[in-house]
Amino acid sequence: MTAESQQPGQEGAIRPATARHTGRMALRGCLVACGLLALSACADPKPTDPEALAEYEEAHDPYESLNRKMYGLTTTVDKYTTRPVAKAYVWAVPRPVRQAFGNMIQTMNEPVVFFNDVGAGKPRRAGDSFARWVINMTAGLGGFIDVAKYAGFPHHDNDAGLTLATWGISSGPYLFLPMMGPSSLRDGIGYGLDQGLSPWNYVPRGYGLVTFNWAYNMLGIINGRADHLNDLDQLQRDALDPYATIRSAYQQQRKALADSIKNDHRATVPAWYN
Amino acid sequence: MTIRLHRRNILGLVAACVFSLAASSTAFAAGTSADFVRTLAGRLVSIINSNASPGQAKSEVNPLLQQAIDFDNIAKFCLGRYWNVATPDQRTEYLGLFHQALTNAIMDKLGSYRGVRVKVTGTETLQQGAEGVSFILSRPQQPDAQMQLIVRKDGDSYKVVDLIGEGVSLRLTQSKDYNSFIARNGGKVENLIRAMKNQVAHHDDPAN
Repeated sequence: MTAESQQPGQEGAIRPATARHTGRMALRGCLVACGLLALSACADPKPTDPEALAEYEEAHDPYESLNRKMYGLTTTVDKYTTRPVAKAYVWAVPRPVRQAFGNMIQTMNEPVVFFNDVGAGKPRRAGDSFARWVINMTAGLGGFIDVAKYAGFPHHDNDAGLTLATWGISSGPYLFLPMMGPSSLRDGIGYGLDQGLSPWNYVPRGYGLVTFNWAYNMLGIINGRADHLNDLDQLQRDALDPYATIRSAYQQQRKALADSIKNDHRATVPAWYN
Repeated sequence: MTIRLHRRNILGLVAACVFSLAASSTAFAAGTSADFVRTLAGRLVSIINSNASPGQAKSEVNPLLQQAIDFDNIAKFCLGRYWNVATPDQRTEYLGLFHQALTNAIMDKLGSYRGVRVKVTGTETLQQGAEGVSFILSRPQQPDAQMQLIVRKDGDSYKVVDLIGEGVSLRLTQSKDYNSFIARNGGKVENLIRAMKNQVAHHDDPAN
């Protein structure tokens, strides 16, 4: 008996593929709803003092207590794992090679930037990121050399969180994600969407590709951490409340990035074309 | 920890203000805000890219910081609502400590900016008589950084009141740091002053 010939609601029936998909979606929806409910139970009480309340509202951080725990956990794990590995990486790998790895990681992410540029309704930016990908994957030897920058296509940031921002969706509460760092409800969802937008996740799985994916992701983490070794060390040393400093910097930067995308009204075709 | 602040974080900004906050021991000539920033950047870059030892470079930069930055204005902003509840003695002590802390933060980053280039790209008029001077900071083997110095007229010249790098305001971020610290430590300015004293002493301790 095929799945399609089964009647929905039959005991032990194998439901059609669409029904199974709908079921999974419903299950995920329930899990997300439960997660949000659990998160809402962790919300800190609002202060009563008007000035403190204004600061509380401005920070968009109703789960501060939980976020600070995640921050503490992340910095502790970082101290004994990622940071030493990143320091060893900096010691062992010359800067030009690290730069080449950084270029490759950036180029590999260019399709995600492209799809988000399209989603944000910015064809000129999408053209730039597409050109970057093509140029760097070919003339740039698989992305290791950022030739596109010299050809007039410098890198620009974009991700699904920013695309959602350009659609007018607010950031929602600030979140500090374990081992990932500062984020928000919108940007966290955006991160999930970006995984779906990355074509590398749709390449048929073979042993070599799995190895490549692991190497790519691990290299991305270590290379990214190495880029910020001195800055994060200084932040830990100089900030009296590093958590609040990171939160403020992150929120300001995300807003500025979203604004820069919204305000990018460059013509779709280059000036020489007209 | 993958701190997703993309290419730079706030301490990069602290470091970057090095480029904007120094000048030579001579007074800045009268001119536009863009001229002021060009002069500042030019003098600082020449010190950083010279063969002077780190100690000598710092001794040259330090007096210039005092001339180019409106420390008191920034310090007052950073204390936020707690400025009004601080006693006169606390304010005085806080201003002195802030001065040292910011200077230390800038000095610590001097060496990492060898080979830097600064290109002023435009100016804009902001609220309350402030002007924003945009510039691009280029370092060898690093991505260019879009920065903006916020300056205010001070007599014939200007003084720096903020630095914005990749959309992040230095003084706003510092303000969040201090205000959060005070709020989490009994709401008392004296606790901030104590922590800043420790911070400055820790920095000055050669063992560190």
